[in-house]
Amino acid sequence: MAEDAPVLELKGITKRFPGVVANDRVDFDLRRGEVHALLGENGAGKSTLMNVLYGLYRPDEGEILVKGKPITMSSPSDAIGVGVGMVHQHFMLIPVMTVAENIVLGVEPTREKLFLDQDAAEERVKQIARTFKFAIDPHARIENISVGQQQRVEILKALFRGADILILDEPTAVLTPQEALELFGILRTLTREGMSVIFISHKLHEVLEIADRVTVLRRGKKIETLPREGATQEALAKLMVGREVLLRVDKKPSEPGEPLLEVEDLQVLDERGLPAVRGVSFQVRAGEIVGIAGVDGNGQTELIDAITGLTKPQSGTIRVGGRDATRETARERLDEGIGHIPEDRQRRGLILDFTLAENVGLHDYRKEPYSRVGWLRPGRLIALARRLLKEFDVRGGNPKTLASALSGGNQQKVVIAREVERDPRVLVAGQPTRGLDVGAIEFVHRRLVDERDEGRAVLLMSLELEEIMSLSDRILVIFGGEIVGEYGPDVTEEELGVAMTGGRREAAA
Amino acid sequence: MTVTPPAQTPEIEDTYSLRSTFYERAGGFFVPFAATVLAFFIGGLVVLITGHNPIEAYRAIFEGAGFNWPYQWLTGQDTTASGRDLQQTLRAATPLILAALAVAFSFRCGLFNIGGQGQYWVGFIFALLVGTHFEGMPRPLHVTLCIVAGILGGAFWGGIAGFLRATVGAHEVITTIMLNWIALYVGKWLFELDGPLQGAAPSLPRSEVIDDSAILWIIWNPYLHAGILIAIVVLFIYTLLLNRTTLGYEVRAVGFNPEAARYSGIGVRKNYFLALAISGAFAGLAGTVDLVGVKHAVDQSDFDTNFVAFTAIAVALLGRNTAVGIFFAGLLFAGLSVGTSSRNLDPEIFEPALATDLATMIQALVIFFVGADLLIVYIWRLRRHLHLRRTQPAEEPAPS
Amino acid sequence: MIDRYRNFKTVASVGIVLGVAAFVLTLPPFTIRTTLVPIIFGLGALALGLAAISQGERRLGGFALAIGFLGTVGGLWALGVDQDTLEAVITGGLVASTLRFATPLAYAAMGGIFCERSGIVNIGLEGMMLMGAFFAVWGSIWSGSWVVGVLTAMIAGGLLALIHGVFSIHLRADQIVSGFAVNLLALGLTGYLYSSIYPDGTPTEKVDRVPSLEEAFGFLSWVPGADLSLLVWTMFLVVILSFVVLFKTPIGLRIRSVGEHPRAADTVGISVYGVRYAAVVTSGVLAALGGAFLSIGFTGRFAENMTSGRGYIALAAVIFGKWRPGWAFVATLLFGFGFALAIPLQREADISSNLISTLPYVLTLIAVAGIIGRSIPPAAVGRPYIKQ
Repeated sequence: MAEDAPVLELKGITKRFPGVVANDRVDFDLRRGEVHALLGENGAGKSTLMNVLYGLYRPDEGEILVKGKPITMSSPSDAIGVGVGMVHQHFMLIPVMTVAENIVLGVEPTREKLFLDQDAAEERVKQIARTFKFAIDPHARIENISVGQQQRVEILKALFRGADILILDEPTAVLTPQEALELFGILRTLTREGMSVIFISHKLHEVLEIADRVTVLRRGKKIETLPREGATQEALAKLMVGREVLLRVDKKPSEPGEPLLEVEDLQVLDERGLPAVRGVSFQVRAGEIVGIAGVDGNGQTELIDAITGLTKPQSGTIRVGGRDATRETARERLDEGIGHIPEDRQRRGLILDFTLAENVGLHDYRKEPYSRVGWLRPGRLIALARRLLKEFDVRGGNPKTLASALSGGNQQKVVIAREVERDPRVLVAGQPTRGLDVGAIEFVHRRLVDERDEGRAVLLMSLELEEIMSLSDRILVIFGGEIVGEYGPDVTEEELGVAMTGGRREAAA
Repeated sequence: MTVTPPAQTPEIEDTYSLRSTFYERAGGFFVPFAATVLAFFIGGLVVLITGHNPIEAYRAIFEGAGFNWPYQWLTGQDTTASGRDLQQTLRAATPLILAALAVAFSFRCGLFNIGGQGQYWVGFIFALLVGTHFEGMPRPLHVTLCIVAGILGGAFWGGIAGFLRATVGAHEVITTIMLNWIALYVGKWLFELDGPLQGAAPSLPRSEVIDDSAILWIIWNPYLHAGILIAIVVLFIYTLLLNRTTLGYEVRAVGFNPEAARYSGIGVRKNYFLALAISGAFAGLAGTVDLVGVKHAVDQSDFDTNFVAFTAIAVALLGRNTAVGIFFAGLLFAGLSVGTSSRNLDPEIFEPALATDLATMIQALVIFFVGADLLIVYIWRLRRHLHLRRTQPAEEPAPS
Repeated sequence: MIDRYRNFKTVASVGIVLGVAAFVLTLPPFTIRTTLVPIIFGLGALALGLAAISQGERRLGGFALAIGFLGTVGGLWALGVDQDTLEAVITGGLVASTLRFATPLAYAAMGGIFCERSGIVNIGLEGMMLMGAFFAVWGSIWSGSWVVGVLTAMIAGGLLALIHGVFSIHLRADQIVSGFAVNLLALGLTGYLYSSIYPDGTPTEKVDRVPSLEEAFGFLSWVPGADLSLLVWTMFLVVILSFVVLFKTPIGLRIRSVGEHPRAADTVGISVYGVRYAAVVTSGVLAALGGAFLSIGFTGRFAENMTSGRGYIALAAVIFGKWRPGWAFVATLLFGFGFALAIPLQREADISSNLISTLPYVLTLIAVAGIIGRSIPPAAVGRPYIKQ
């Protein structure tokens, strides 16, 4: 299947940014018809390397050879010109435009050289979809199709421009296990047709499933390239991180107490007024972690927003510590026992232009002793911040440093510190480890378990199945706005995957 | 089934660290200073191109503003002329400073309040109403009442834009500008011949004159009234309000990151309304102080010639929305305005009519250069400094 | 289910039309002077609006209710007004007048649409218009030809826009601040040059004005509205062209993509900076064209700050029209009507001209405030793009 002459070679690629060497003399080669995985944790340099290959960055040193010929990539057009196509992790699709418009953007077919030929565009899109056996509606708007389909549009974009080398950047980050399997099927079809695929990932099990070869990067350097045969998850993890890694959090079994968060028959509408949460009921008890698993867009965000008071539910009740909190505002809920670690710490959890002290006081600035009758007392906030920064080992600044100066992991620590400090009875965490490196992830996971052991009720929402399975004492699967299954921690990924895409409903194991 | 696409790459518009490091080093002073110098330089070029001598022109303006007074005073020269000029400058700086606070306070909340002029007028008119009645009241009381009325008037006018922004999300740039024009024409109507508030003289489109008891004290004969003291006190109030009160905390939070503020339970819309209303109050105060300090009445034609609140926008931008900055920027622009007025500028050197437009151009250039702080960064060749400092947090913008 | 939804949108739209008719039919040229008209049409609008609301079409139904109510009130009020007065105010001349006032707004609005669609906020339309107004006069006097005047105006507007572009695109300054500074710069510069070059005012006899359609093309004098300026007619062209370019050409697709998701456009090889610069300069050229009409097409002279906020009104039209040329044009007609109405109202009604002058601004305020259902701008508008 895979011939031996490399269709792509990267030699000695070095790329520097202020303060960091993202790629340090990296060598990489790709054979025709193979799927070659590029593995590494966040910050290892995988995306940078591919951005260099795709012409988005200029390398400081090194050369690129495509089919034996050295090429200088100064823009994506150059890359596209030699047959390199890229499917980005964050899709480069324009939501308000149609599939066809997105695919032909930049290479639009024209009538009389002036006018856009919509029909020709749609025809060509349909043609190419047929060739590679994709099912896609060229007329549909991107914002209305599923994430899996959007990804296929991205792949089609590359194929439309004649790519025979495809780079996929963390493609399964937003897919269910089933959709991931479908993607792998597509990739196998493509390689059979002679395409070569570079697959960037940090998920070990996937890499072992789809890749022919694996290259591991760590801190900008290439560590090793190995064939799939004989490789194990543990070995790969060790190469990725440089030390033994705990793939699962070590925790004692939970001893749940009384229910601290009760949600009954909750109905919530989304931004557009359509029902997003349809009659959800569940409980989270003291001393347990309940994980909500689901594909992005199935109502989790709206559910969390309703529980934390940011959106008013259409109907249903929310009880915190036995007290009916449904009518309360976000502020009241935050005051009365809910802690919230929001999904996007830079947009929702912190004010980057505020100091750490000001951020730490984001909920309590109105209360004694931090203010009195509307008059702030910054000294108190600074003292609080100092204590918390120490306790949570936050690096990168003192209470008067601006939050923007901290790294992602440290920023998240500040957010967690602030929430936990207020001694909430219920801790709601949305995607708490997004964008963090392994060390920070370990810290956050450890902390969540500690809070559980302190007797809090922890509600965890995450799109990373591994995280859910590793931390949760009970797992609820949400699909189409409803809870379609409740599982214990021994459930398999397959079962979860089935439930997450609307398969059978299963009672708790 | 509708599935939301994954969030787009959070583009940290410009690495915050880059800019804030720079400001921390320069103490936030360098950019405005450099911007001013550049603006004057280019203004000088324009002067040169149209056949005048920029150095003479600038010197004439400097002296016309009375800025040579401290030097003269210290060296024992005759300070009558420059003293009077300086008084006029300080007097002109007063409404500029107050109106600039109107812009700055809104900026801190992430809003652009261009409606200062309208808010000024409404405050002015409210104060006029109070000032022309209640004759014979003790002066402190009467003046205070006028001030209260002016503040309420300005707050009302600003509050309209704030209300619209808070409820239907109407962009304050457009609403405040429309309100400016409306206030302008309503004002002209009020004081026109046979207008509802036309004063005693039947053939003059002029308002009544306020009572003696509503006139502000003079603190430096003959021009400078107590308004400058009021302005300084209000500068303090502004700083305290923003940095030491819960209201100010919320306003700043909303200004920096409305999302996070909302997630924290802060009422974003409420703060939009309050910010514009309070801003209006500052501008209304500016109008009031002008009334009780200098003008004592208003002519219909004043509405066409008064641009104080627009100049104040440049003052706020140059002063980077801080009390200290606004004070000095206010002095600068007041000096520019007084120094180019026909009374103070020697027409031999430079025609005053041209000079006013020159001043306007310089204002614009100042705004440009202050806004493009990145340009200043490049000019100062800061990049070499930045290589030495670790500015990138782990996951942006390069890695993975 | 979808069909039923759509039907009630139509129902509500008909209701809106009825509401408008309730008022308009009492006015010239129809002048149907019986109370039955406003009442029946108004009730019809109310009924249809209610029907639509009850079936879930709240937005348009609400509109129909509001307009039905206002139309009835307006119609009844109009009946109370003396017929001669009505006919004096609402004349054929009013239509022409509306078009004349709408023209500068429309040019600027089209420019604003291109600019904003590419992702750059342009508050500076006012300044660009002003530059156009001045340089049109200057160019016209200097060369004796209105064509040169128009060209000079366009170049001046384009250059000013380029400044805004550099500050917004390469220097990543706050676009609103930059736009405001552009206005101030234009104000100062045109004022300075005007006082400097024409200290005694514009020599109007030397200004070569833009001809009307029939003056330029005598054989077209039969066309209704041939007495309107050439620039008014080209305004229609510009509106149509804007629509065609934006939605029917590859260039338009690229402009829109840059405004929605610049990085996506970048990754397919489109030059984000290039497109944005082109869009900004276009907006300057068009706004200046509007200003040129104001001076050498309409009044024949220049006065300091003669644009009087029109650039901002054009921006309001862009927002009101949801960044679509057709709807923005309708909005400019509405605002132009506000200006146009002021003239006859001043003559006939016993209200101060100052008060009447507030009309266009009040109208704009209401329009901006009353956009029921938020206007969604291009997704990336106002955010500087960083090319790595």
